[in-house]
Amino acid sequence: MDRRSGVIGYVDDRTGERLNFTLPLSTRIGPVMVETVSRVSAQNMNDILELTTHCIRCGFCLESCPTFVTTANEIESPRGRIYLVRSAVEGLLDWQKDVRPHIELCLGCRACETACPSGVEYGRILEGAKEKLEQDRPQFSKLALLNATTRPSTLKAQLAMGKLLPGKRIPTPISMLLSKQKPEVDQPTPQKLSPLPPLIHSQLKPVQGQVYLLEGCAMRVLFPRVHEATRRLLRRIGYEVLETAQGCCGAMHAHNGYIDTTKSVGRELLIAMSREIPVIVNSAGCGSTMKDYGNILEDTAGATKFAKRTFDASEFLFANGLMEELASASGLPVTATYHDACHLAHGQKITSQPRELIQAIPRLTYVPLQEADMCCGSAGVYNVLQPKMARSLVERKYANIEETGARIVATGNPGCHAWIAQAAQEHGKKISVLHTMELLEAAFCGLEPFMN
Amino acid sequence: MLSSHAELAKALQSVLTPDAVLSGDAAERAYDCDAYTVDRNNPSAVVLPRSTEDVAKVVRWCNKNDVPFTARGAGTGLSGGVLPAMGGVVLSTKRMTKILEIDYDNRCLLAQAGIPNKRLSDAVKDRGLYFAPDPSSQSVSTIGGNIGENAGGPHTLKYGVTVQHILGLTMVDPLGEILHLGGKLPGAPGYDFVGIVVGSEGTMGIVTEAWVKLCPIPKAVATALISYRNVADACRTVAEIIAQGTIPAALEMMDHGILRAVRAAFGLEYPEGTLAMLLIECDGEPDRVAHEMESVQKVCKKNGALQIRLAEDEAERAKLWTARKKGIGAMGRIAPSIVTHDGVIPRSKLPEMLEFVYDVSWRYQIGVANLFHAGDGNLHPCFYFNDRDPEQVKSVVAAGEEIIRRCVELGGSVSGEHGIGIEKVDLMPLMFTPEDMEFQATAKRIFNDGSLCNPCKVLPSQKGCVEHRRRWRGTAW
Repeated sequence: MDRRSGVIGYVDDRTGERLNFTLPLSTRIGPVMVETVSRVSAQNMNDILELTTHCIRCGFCLESCPTFVTTANEIESPRGRIYLVRSAVEGLLDWQKDVRPHIELCLGCRACETACPSGVEYGRILEGAKEKLEQDRPQFSKLALLNATTRPSTLKAQLAMGKLLPGKRIPTPISMLLSKQKPEVDQPTPQKLSPLPPLIHSQLKPVQGQVYLLEGCAMRVLFPRVHEATRRLLRRIGYEVLETAQGCCGAMHAHNGYIDTTKSVGRELLIAMSREIPVIVNSAGCGSTMKDYGNILEDTAGATKFAKRTFDASEFLFANGLMEELASASGLPVTATYHDACHLAHGQKITSQPRELIQAIPRLTYVPLQEADMCCGSAGVYNVLQPKMARSLVERKYANIEETGARIVATGNPGCHAWIAQAAQEHGKKISVLHTMELLEAAFCGLEPFMN
Repeated sequence: MLSSHAELAKALQSVLTPDAVLSGDAAERAYDCDAYTVDRNNPSAVVLPRSTEDVAKVVRWCNKNDVPFTARGAGTGLSGGVLPAMGGVVLSTKRMTKILEIDYDNRCLLAQAGIPNKRLSDAVKDRGLYFAPDPSSQSVSTIGGNIGENAGGPHTLKYGVTVQHILGLTMVDPLGEILHLGGKLPGAPGYDFVGIVVGSEGTMGIVTEAWVKLCPIPKAVATALISYRNVADACRTVAEIIAQGTIPAALEMMDHGILRAVRAAFGLEYPEGTLAMLLIECDGEPDRVAHEMESVQKVCKKNGALQIRLAEDEAERAKLWTARKKGIGAMGRIAPSIVTHDGVIPRSKLPEMLEFVYDVSWRYQIGVANLFHAGDGNLHPCFYFNDRDPEQVKSVVAAGEEIIRRCVELGGSVSGEHGIGIEKVDLMPLMFTPEDMEFQATAKRIFNDGSLCNPCKVLPSQKGCVEHRRRWRGTAW
């Protein structure tokens, strides 16, 4: 959609065809006040402004927004935030004083994008606004947190040091520094790797192709079992993982206003995964950003192609024969439900594939979850930066899960996984949280290895 | 009057609690208009009460300090009904979202004003019941706001508007007294004050709770989407369906402007060469539905329908309705701003009126899309434009006035369901003589004899509004 051309029209989402309206409308957008001191370029500010003008203030987003539903305050709603950003670009509000607190309370869950009839790209407005806020006034404590979380070796070292500290929460002084609130998040503990029965290759489909698997930064340290399950499921449908040395995808940086870092690590990932084979991702947040590489790395050759060959694991397995394989699995006699990770449901519009796969597990009873696509409050590093809001959302999520009577809740993102698991543990360990990949693999080799 | 906004907010914090008061530049900006964006004005502060008593406390405080106040629900209104025209306090009902009681035996429910319309139906769906009024904004718009505007919706044709579904109200009057009007059971003796308050656009007080009627979900529903080569064929179909005595549950029209937006937004397909579409729904007993749908299809074919597509299952039906209900919302794909008008005309005049709308749009060089309740003759011409061009904003206002004028000339009305608000306050004299309006003002004074409760709305030339008007008229971003 390009309305800077002076003609009102739009690009049809399905056909890619550009439609202009018959009336010769003069809609050239006038000069825009842009703060020249900013390091964020005037072009970027114009891009943000252009994105905000798609909002016609109908308000259909309000009830989809977790922070609005929780606070009832329109400044903490998508419509409100878009209006604030637009006003700040136009010089009517102050970025740091008026806009920053409300952008920071936003989870970035993008449920509003699903609700929006006008197709407002809220995620891009948010990332643009965050970039502007961080460039004008960087928060070094936040940057340190991002760096620690997204560098596997640093994270490992910190986890080892963390064991020396008393208590299981992240330390209060660190939380106060980051959020001015008391901590709610436990220090992360890596999954234990229980031995899985070996795959008997003669009984499996012959290998028909290779794929890359994004190991990710925090994911590879904290959730090695999920990767193992994903590898096995891929092999079950005839795909082998081509191992390669790889780094972080930059999703966390993009979501927190450090898009330049995303660009540089993204370029490295493109090089590390340069062969034209599918890239499989089992972390919704990463997949969502990687599918947007076409936009983020617009000046890098192959970025759009890379984005197009990036698939969420559930999406790829569903499309390539796991349903059929599951039909002959031994199955699981359990009741399970499914929580939509925001960056899967709203960021990638993937809601049916994981549900269909789970429901295809023999002997499993599937129960739907109320408010399944409402954010659990984890949202990357949000639960560290906004402990209070994150806590109230995870309690709401847990209550909904408990209401289903399910013993297992599956989800497709490490953040949700860890955060809901913490809530489940606090509420007496009646419910287990599994990654969708773990639950699916358990259909073949039993729950036992995935339950601790 | 308190000297500064900050002082006022501080005083309100002690009336309620600190977390129930919003103030500062960001809050003033976020609450300066609803979905009608041509006129804007900042409030001094916003309060988020939790109960009827909280609302009463704030209203009494406003009276004591001579501060104007305006109630607000989800802010989805299309006529600026919640614009704080004289500044002052905006009272948001969004922390009052509870269902307080459900009486299944008597098929009614008591809810707080801030609950979204659709949540009422969701709450009783398992028992085969629903709340019938279904404005397109029902997933977010509040029952309090629906009451204020006497909201309609696609199914108004058969089931009536909000007022027919409200049994009783709890409200805070403009002086801060708590009133209970009507009750759980219909047909209370004496004058029908509920009928006066519903549709009074928040000028007679602030509704805080309501007893609403619940209807049984129809046993069978059939939904058809019919494409036409031109608007005239579709209009003739509408007039003929109604004339032959069939009352469908809904009878909606979309023209090509809207169709392009909903195709982009929701992937709604239609045959090549389609310039208008009807969405027709029949509901009730299965036999009757089948019979009605058959006779509807006959009329459609007779009037040159290109294609008739019947929804095969609930999922397809839901998809068709999403396209209809979110159609106006999808207009942001086409232009930065829209104004949706709301005139009513006799159904027989539809073809003539639509031609006039297209003509106005051409003369003012402002794009128009139409999506409306054809069965009721309730037109919604939606002008789309760039609100940063003051000339375009002026044209939109002028074009809208021409259209509304024409509606009245054709024997219609200046508003079907969006209310008068601030948008059409100057157009009231088109329909009413000064004596008529004085009579209405007398009715208003039963509840509101002052100038603090939602000032400058509905009736023109109110005290002080003319000077204030300059501040907010056409302050579009």
